[in-house]
Formats: sequence, structure tokens, C-alpha cells
Amino acid sequence: MNFVNRFFLWILLLPQRFYRQMGADTGHLRAILNTKLMMDDRRVPPMQQMKRKKTQRLPRYATLGTMLFSAIIGVLFLFVFSVGSDYITQLGFYFAFYIFLLAAMLITDFTTVLIDVRDNLIILPKPVNDKTFLLARLLHIVTHISKLVLPMSLPAAIYLAIHAGILAFVSFLPLVVCSTLFTVFLINAVYVIILKLTTPEKFKNIISYFQIFFAITVYGAYQLVPRLFSAAFFNGFQLTHSRVAWLLPPYWFAAGWQYINGGSLTSPLFVYLLLSLLLPMLSIWAVIRFFAPSFNRKLAMIGGSEGGPVTTNRKKNNSTSRGLGGYATRLAGLLTRRGPEQMSFLFTWKLTARSRDFKMKVYPSIGYLFVYLLLFWVRAKEKISLSSFTEQTGPGRYIFTGLIYLSSYSLMMAIYQLIYSEKYKASWIYYVTPVESPGSLLLGALKAMMAKFYLPLVVIISIAAIILNGPSILPNLILSISNQCLTTLIVGYMSLRALPFSQQQSNSIKGSNFLRGMFSMLLPMILFFVHFLAYNNLVVIIILFALSAIAIWLMMDAIRTKNWEQLTIGEYE
Amino acid sequence: MEPVIVLKHVYKNYGNKQVLKGINLSVYPGQVIGYIGPNGAGKSTTVKILCGLISDYEGEVIVDGIDLKKDPVAAKARIGYVPELAELYDVLTPVEFLSFMAELYNMSMQLATDRIEKMLTAFGLHDNMHSRMDTFSKGMRQKVLISSGLLHNPDIIILDEPLSGLDANSVIIVKDLISKLAKEGKTIFYCSHMMDVVEKVSDRVVLINDGAVLADGSVEELRQQQGNQSLERIFAQLTSKESLSDAADQLLHAFGQ
Repeated sequence: MNFVNRFFLWILLLPQRFYRQMGADTGHLRAILNTKLMMDDRRVPPMQQMKRKKTQRLPRYATLGTMLFSAIIGVLFLFVFSVGSDYITQLGFYFAFYIFLLAAMLITDFTTVLIDVRDNLIILPKPVNDKTFLLARLLHIVTHISKLVLPMSLPAAIYLAIHAGILAFVSFLPLVVCSTLFTVFLINAVYVIILKLTTPEKFKNIISYFQIFFAITVYGAYQLVPRLFSAAFFNGFQLTHSRVAWLLPPYWFAAGWQYINGGSLTSPLFVYLLLSLLLPMLSIWAVIRFFAPSFNRKLAMIGGSEGGPVTTNRKKNNSTSRGLGGYATRLAGLLTRRGPEQMSFLFTWKLTARSRDFKMKVYPSIGYLFVYLLLFWVRAKEKISLSSFTEQTGPGRYIFTGLIYLSSYSLMMAIYQLIYSEKYKASWIYYVTPVESPGSLLLGALKAMMAKFYLPLVVIISIAAIILNGPSILPNLILSISNQCLTTLIVGYMSLRALPFSQQQSNSIKGSNFLRGMFSMLLPMILFFVHFLAYNNLVVIIILFALSAIAIWLMMDAIRTKNWEQLTIGEYE
Repeated sequence: MEPVIVLKHVYKNYGNKQVLKGINLSVYPGQVIGYIGPNGAGKSTTVKILCGLISDYEGEVIVDGIDLKKDPVAAKARIGYVPELAELYDVLTPVEFLSFMAELYNMSMQLATDRIEKMLTAFGLHDNMHSRMDTFSKGMRQKVLISSGLLHNPDIIILDEPLSGLDANSVIIVKDLISKLAKEGKTIFYCSHMMDVVEKVSDRVVLINDGAVLADGSVEELRQQQGNQSLERIFAQLTSKESLSDAADQLLHAFGQ
């Protein structure tokens, strides 16, 4: 237990007499909080879970790490003070970012840390009364949020104290508390809505989609916002001029602060101060009145085996998976040889669709690619008008082939991730069955990845290209697609050194990872460059296509004939 | 003699599915009750009600003279519970976890520390006392769970499949422990699917199926009623509608011979 937790425990237990009057057992309260805080310290923070490489050292001071992380975010927030010309604008942006990021951090913590379903089995059978249990849970949530919020808001508070005086500092803090309460309410509302709409089993999937969405949005905003608006726009910007802003809570908090620090008691901004104080109160009331009663019970169902909607859902699940299976089966029939290769195709198709772990790692990187595309478009907007897409001369004609090459990056992460799985031990099925050529399993899996992540993109790009450019683009399009398949196969040949889903994430396979990564990154560029040089010469394009097709055929053969010696065998039990 | 556990007309619904359909049961001190039944019969639900995990049941449950609905905390203090799923806070060490449990049972720290060390040593976990449980095997976790259920020396012990994951030697220890605890006057409520163990350790068997008690009596009494055969056979006879050997035949026929 470190000093931070000891400090929190001390603070939390100060009003002991008050707790006792409420009917809580302070001895139990201390024991539960102590244990909870100790466990928080040993938990792997969610930011690291996303790309965890298991270190041998077990986390002992996770709390300090989390606090440091949010302090860094808090420092990054300071950039808002370079935007706009008044405090309302700056703080409006500040609160917007603050609420967004806090929500992003809390949304997962709520299920994993704060409402630990194991509590029901471990603490509830013990002679602990309900009031103590609820109070302990509440205080734990408060501590957890404080650990995030304090370091996150401190940099801005200090900045305000220096630049605007002590009143600015003092009035800022309660507004941070108000916006925090509002954020907690938002998360509660999201949870309740999701729970209303779906079953608890699907809940975790939806929460992970939220995380993916948050990750992409944060990255996208970071990349795009500074480029979309000019510096002059930022410097002269005043949020007060925007009527839409008046409706948004972050603006209320900012305007509330401005009212206190504006010096004029009769200012109409008073309304906003009132709103920003009322809002959290209303939120708390709504949480207690509408959400709390059924909320805990439903949350308990997320992790527990209680409740029996499983049987009713089974039918529905089956029919949807059969529909999907039909499409996948037809694709498999078209793209793969019968036997292990086809099986592996379907196996990979289904597992990647259903494994939360895989989606969490691959989808954000695909999202980043879209951010890049958007970025590319924003930058090019001045130079290339939409009409130039349809022209046969000018830079527009390279765009579609370029896009196809670019889309290969969306697949790479999926291929790297393919061999890993949380359930890596289930890979015993490969080793007990008489599989002669594991290579065909690899090829099937690779084809499934291509069909899943690459085919839709290619189809969309091709259709757009043919509509806008006419059929004359076809030879170039076909060459780029074939080069693209070649890239994927080469990357697959190099990086698939184990069977799909057979490795533990922490066991990164040794080897020249960096060089391979560099090569995979460069390959599409090199091929694009060669293609670009020959772009207008149909004969060369056809020759290049023939070469590319032969290479594809050779690579497929090379992958198919990979034998057991070339593969890392997973750990299985 | 006063019964220590009384269940009177206990009903429990999940939605519109009735899981318990009026369970009546009286358990006396020193008895080892083997509580058996097929999957989904309502075993776990009964156990969860007894432990205070489920409170929205109908009927009356009295533990050691205390109505579970009126004073669940006092009732829980008298019960030791070993859950079936190895649910524990595995980032803690066994000592930390058990000390936490001891505090929740209001034990003095000194007594707890002493007892925890003795119990873990007896289970052969002395060398692992201070390592985090996330590296523990299923059997080691189970030993910690059993310790946590017995730590406060309760008069009523509820064991839900306590032998899962244990090696043969530990099984002998636990079985021995159960009969010794019963001799000391402790009441043991033993839930299991392993009929041979239930047959050996329990002096009264309660068989439930579809939320109702189907048979209740010592193994001897059941044998007299159902013909002289093993508990496994009696169980099959009472709970299975179709013949089980038919099922085995069907499995064989799946090979197409």
C-alpha cells in the first residue's frame, strides 16, 4: 500500500462517527476499502491492457501510474489556453475535453473495477450489512474517480491561479466537481441505455465498441482539428458568439466560472452558473431515482451466471450466425481449396468476428486508417477539386490506385494479431488432429482475413473508380489489386509464424520484428512507385500484372507448403 | 433437538421460471447433508438462499434460530461458505485474502493470523502464503477457499462442490475433515455431483429435482426404498426419464455400425 492510498483511506474514514450513525460498520468499511485499494494498486491499467506485453514484474504501484497518466493528460489540456481570446472559450473547450476523456477512462472502469461482480460471491455471504457494503462501494468509486480527476484538473487549476488569481483557482474547483458528477451521470445513462437495449452478455462487446470509438475519435481529433482551422481562426475565436455552444453543458461550466470571475453580479451569465450547479444535482437525483435500483442487479448479471435469458437468445443467435455462415461459406467455396484450407478460412472468419480481444486490437487501427484518409483528403482539398477525380490527366487519376495500396495497411494489424488469442490454450486442437500441412491452415486464415477486411474496401474503391473514371482505369485497378494481394501474402508469409489463435499475447515471437515491420510498411510503397512509373503504359501494366500473378501463385504455394518445423508451437495444456 | 437449518415452503422464481417449488427441509446439528440433484434442479439456488446471496425468495428460512429475512447479518456470521466457482480476488496473497475475510467475520487480528498460518500450512500452502494467487492452480485456489469458509469456526458449513480441482491426497484430507467436523457437532451442507463421495461422507441424502425434494433419508433408507444399489443408480432411477444405457447405445450408434 502506497502513501496515496493510505492518504485516501485516512480521508475517507475521517467521518467515522457519521458512518456509524448511518448504520455502517466502520471496521468492515475499513477492511473492504483497504482491500479494494490494495487491489487497485495491482491491477494492470486499462491503457496498458490494450497493448499489453506482459512484463515479469507484477504491477505494484498501478495507482501511481494511473495518476501520472492523468496528470500528463491534464498538462496536455493546457493547450486550450492558447485558443480563443477569452476565458469562456478556453474553459468551454477545457470542459468539453475533460468530460470526453474522463468518460472514456471511466466507461471501462465501471465494470472492471468499480462494480466487481466477484464482490457478490465473496463479500455478500459474509456478515456485512448492506449499508456498509453500499457505502464501501460508493467510497471506492469516489476514491477511484478522485485519483483520475485530481491530477487531471490540477494543471489547469494552477494555470488559472497564476494567470487569473486565487479566486479563479477557488471557483474552478467546484465546477470541476460539477462536471465530474455530470460525467458520471452520462456514463450511468449510457450503461442503462445499453442494458435496456441488449442482453448483459452482449454488454461487454458494446462497451468495447465504445472504447474503439473513443480511441479513434481522440486520434482523429488530435490529427484533424488543428489542420481544419487556421491559427487566425483559433486566436480570434469566441465561443460566446456561437449559439449552439449555449446549449452545451461544457459552455455552462465555463460561463459559470466567468460569472464568478467577471466581477459583475448582474451579468446574465448568472443563468449558466445556476445551470452548472443544478445539472449535477439533477443528474444525481436521476441516478438515484431511475438508475440505481435495477442498475446494480443488471450489472451483476453481466459477469454472473444469474438470470436465464440465455436459452431464449440461443435461437436468435443461431439464425444470425447461419446467415453470416452462408455468406462466409460461399466465399470460402470460391476462394479456397477444399479440406483444411477451407475449414481454416471459416474458422478464422468466425473467430475474428466473435473475439472481443481481436476486435479491440484490430478495429482501432482500421479506424486510424480512415483518419489518415480524411487527413489526406483535407490536405489535398485545396489542390485537387472533386472534378479532378474524373479526369484522366492530372494528379486525380492516381488517387484510386493509391487508395488501394494504402488500404493494405488496414490488413497488416489484423494479420499480426491473427496468431494471438486469449484462449490460446484451445490450440491443442491443431496438435491432436492429424494435420499434415499446417501451411494450408495458414493460407486459409490469410484468405479469410483478406476476404473480410480487404474485399469490401476494394469493391467500394473499384466501383467508385469505375463510375468516376470510366472503364479505362480497369487495367491499373486490376494491377493494384493483384499487387495488393501479393503484399498481403508476403507479409503473411513473414509474420504468420504460428497457427492462428495459438499464441499468448505476451509471448511475442522473437525475431527481427522491427525489420519485418519496416519491410511490410515499405512494400506497398515500393509496388505503388513501380506501378506509378508505368501508369500510362498499358503494355508494361499487363506485363507487371502477369509478374504479380505469378508471384501470387508462388507465394500461395510457399505458404501452403509451410511445415511444422517452420512454426512456433503454442503452449497448450 | 432443535433443527439448525429450517426451510419452510421456499419458492423462488427467475422471471416466470420457477426454480424452487416449495422446498421443506430441517437439518439437525452434527448432520452431514448430501444435497444432490441433476443440473438445473435448484441446488445452487438453495445454497445461495442459505448464504444470503438471494433474498427475494418466498417462504421461511431459519438458520440457528434466526430468520434469514429478519437478520441476515447475524445468520451469515454463523455460516461458513465455500463457493463452487473459484471466485476470489486473485491479485491478493492467500494471507491478505484470508485476513480480509477474517476482518469481515470480526475476528481479532491475532487469532486470525495464527489460524490462517496453521490452516495454510496444513494444506501444504506454507511456501505460497505470500505469493499472489493469480499464479495458483485450481486446487490451490480451492484450498484457500475452503480455508476462508472454515476460518471463523462456524457451526454451519456449506460446501458447494468442495473437492473440485483437488488432488487425491487433498481429497482424503477434506473428506476426513468433514467427518471430524461433524463429530464436533458442526452441521455440514454438502452439495455435489460426485455420488460416491456423497455416499461416503453424508449421513443423510436429500435429492432434489425440478425444484422439489424427491427423496430424503440416509443412504441405507434410500437403498431400502429403491432396491439395494449404489447411490449413483438410485440417483439415475429417480431423476432420469429415459434409460441412461439407451443414451450410451445411441452414442455408439452415431458411428453408424
